[in-house]
Amino acid sequence: MRLNERLHSASGMSRRDVLKTAAWLSGAIATGAGSWAIRPQWAHAADPIKVGIATDLTGAIGYAGNANANVAKMVVKDINAKGGVLGRPLDLFIEDTASNESVAVANVRKLIQRDKVDVVLGGITSSMRNAIKDVIVTRGRTLYIYPQLYEGLECTPYIFCTGPTPAQQCDELIPWLIKNGGKRFALPSANYVWPHVLNQYARKVIGASGGEVIFEEYYPLDQVEYSATVNKIMTNKVDVVFNTVIPPGIGPFTKQLYEAGFTKRGGRLSCVYYDENTLNINAPHEIEGLASCLDYFRAVTKLDPGSAKIQAEYDKAFPGKIVFAAGSAATGMYRGLRLWEAAVKEAGKVDRDAVAAALDHARIAEGPGGPAEMVPGKRHCKMRMYIAVAKKGNYEIVSQSKGLVDPKEC
Amino acid sequence: MIGKAVGAARAAAPTRAFPRASMIPVLEVCLLVIFAGLPIVLKDFWVVFVTRVLILTLLSLSFDLVWGFAGIMSFGQALFFGAAGYGVALVARDLGIRAIWVVLPLALVIGLLLSFLLACFVLLGRHPPSIIFVALGTLTCSYAGDRLARGWYYLGGQNGIPSIPLMTAGSYELGEGVAYYYLALVTVVGAYLVCRFLVRSQFGLALAGIRIQEARMAFFGYKVQTLKAIVFSVAGAIAGLAGGLYAFHEGFVWPNMLGVVLSTQIVLYALFGGVGTLIGAVIGVVVIEIVSFVLADNYQTVWPILLGVLLLLVILFRPGGLISLVVPERERIGAFGAVSGRRKHVGGEAVDGTA
Repeated sequence: MRLNERLHSASGMSRRDVLKTAAWLSGAIATGAGSWAIRPQWAHAADPIKVGIATDLTGAIGYAGNANANVAKMVVKDINAKGGVLGRPLDLFIEDTASNESVAVANVRKLIQRDKVDVVLGGITSSMRNAIKDVIVTRGRTLYIYPQLYEGLECTPYIFCTGPTPAQQCDELIPWLIKNGGKRFALPSANYVWPHVLNQYARKVIGASGGEVIFEEYYPLDQVEYSATVNKIMTNKVDVVFNTVIPPGIGPFTKQLYEAGFTKRGGRLSCVYYDENTLNINAPHEIEGLASCLDYFRAVTKLDPGSAKIQAEYDKAFPGKIVFAAGSAATGMYRGLRLWEAAVKEAGKVDRDAVAAALDHARIAEGPGGPAEMVPGKRHCKMRMYIAVAKKGNYEIVSQSKGLVDPKEC
Repeated sequence: MIGKAVGAARAAAPTRAFPRASMIPVLEVCLLVIFAGLPIVLKDFWVVFVTRVLILTLLSLSFDLVWGFAGIMSFGQALFFGAAGYGVALVARDLGIRAIWVVLPLALVIGLLLSFLLACFVLLGRHPPSIIFVALGTLTCSYAGDRLARGWYYLGGQNGIPSIPLMTAGSYELGEGVAYYYLALVTVVGAYLVCRFLVRSQFGLALAGIRIQEARMAFFGYKVQTLKAIVFSVAGAIAGLAGGLYAFHEGFVWPNMLGVVLSTQIVLYALFGGVGTLIGAVIGVVVIEIVSFVLADNYQTVWPILLGVLLLLVILFRPGGLISLVVPERERIGAFGAVSGRRKHVGGEAVDGTA
């Protein structure tokens, strides 16, 4: 290399320097991308049913993925303790989707082609679902259950969705917001698919409930400066900020909005993905009064004994920072596994078509937030929805849907 | 260094001072034999895994061509890869065209045109660009492509384009598996041979001169920037071809395919394997992909750290990459032109007669 350096010393920056810098930079970026697997802990009994979990254990939304994996471990352990399904134990295969779609496809292939699982649950973001659904459903001929709240419109056969849809999140919440906030809505949003589709539906409900949308704006995902937006909200006398700004922007946005005096003026802040994980992004006084609408909050344990049992079981098995929360798909994961269990029991076999036919109308009496049932022919899940308001760093349930809310999809 | 080597060859060319060690052809043949035979011993899943590795090999190859041979630090190879992927995905989705004779050439042309366009901006300006300008220019374009795809709903936005139908050859559908594996292998071998021919031709010699001392080459009357633009476009075409293969193999495209993470990963593949030999770039991809698979399967929570440390160690202590463990520096530099006369001394930059 001496010659090399000598040759380049004239130009100031040696080839080797560039090489080193590039290597450091590449190393730093690329180590975030990869794949890993958690081997099932329990013994392989004769002829087990294989359950595949594909979720983001590492990367940007690792906190949510780990909660999903925990829930899966808990439910599968419980099912196995009670003798399995159809007399067969469940074998759990967990693969990391690493918050990176290309890694995810490779790892989900492991589940389908190497481990030959009977069902796959998982995926958190819509882009992740889009990336892995083909590998699972079309090319892999396997059943897929998607647990996260999302924008809807996923009507591919053999994909079942167990998280809330825009209809479930808006139908109850928006009339409540108009009653407890006001008629003038602002929809500041992050610029990706979910906010666009959600806002489209929200606009309809706002209009139908007698409210009006003052503005609807989309910002880059990594924008952290919102003074112009806050100014617009304040000068236009907006009553309700129905926002879908996501981390990292949501923290500064909420803080700036609070400091401008929006809540003091009686304004109502609302954010429908807000759960126990996102609660501590801001200081409690900054989000005092924030309204969210989800299928489960920790506070629901006081109202629903079934939820209390699940929450206690989770806390006992996984004390620590990875919490059981609705916004990160953990509740959808629980519901998905239990609905699938019911479907397999009804079908009497794990064959894809038989299970899909049974899952089409499967129901469970007890789950996070209460009972749930699939809407026949729609592959989406009816469930109870709760409106919660942040009070001193915790949620307080202010309203609960009368029955199970229809997802209105497909 | 080749400039120097050629000088040495003219001044004092060698005879048989010590045995010729030509490791590169040995490595090339070994790898080719291994890859050609793999589907016989591997199961389904592994064939698909290696197919993906082969496609990534093309990317690493394209980077080695621009950096290892022409000294263009391109942090934008993923842009051509992703753009071609999106291109064929759109054609398959909206026009229903998925015949191999159309989509693969299309992917190649998209990569070629886009890289030529980019070359016009970053290389063919009024002043010869500095290495940092090129690195940042390509990096920025890669980032911009990523952001554009994320915000453009025709392209599926953040979610990308899922469910791309299978590629067809006549009435045969090329799904994941052995057929696709050999398609990828043939493409890689083809691209490799093109690259090999290029870098060992007079054109390659001129590139080597540019890499070592651009100013002198310019004084000799070479149109330095034009040569750079040509090799950059060829590399872009190879990356585009990889994008087309990748899109149909994985069945979806998404904005990260265009982005900075993949662009840097490509750089890493090539540096890890060793630049300036072509085969080193191939080895880099193969080793990184296999090591990360094994680590990930065995050390659940710490594997990204282990992989990172390994990469760092190799790059810090073997700046020549893995290939430098078996291929001596002398061979990596190579030799050009006819060799005649006698070698006076056997120095570090000695030359052997093979071209």
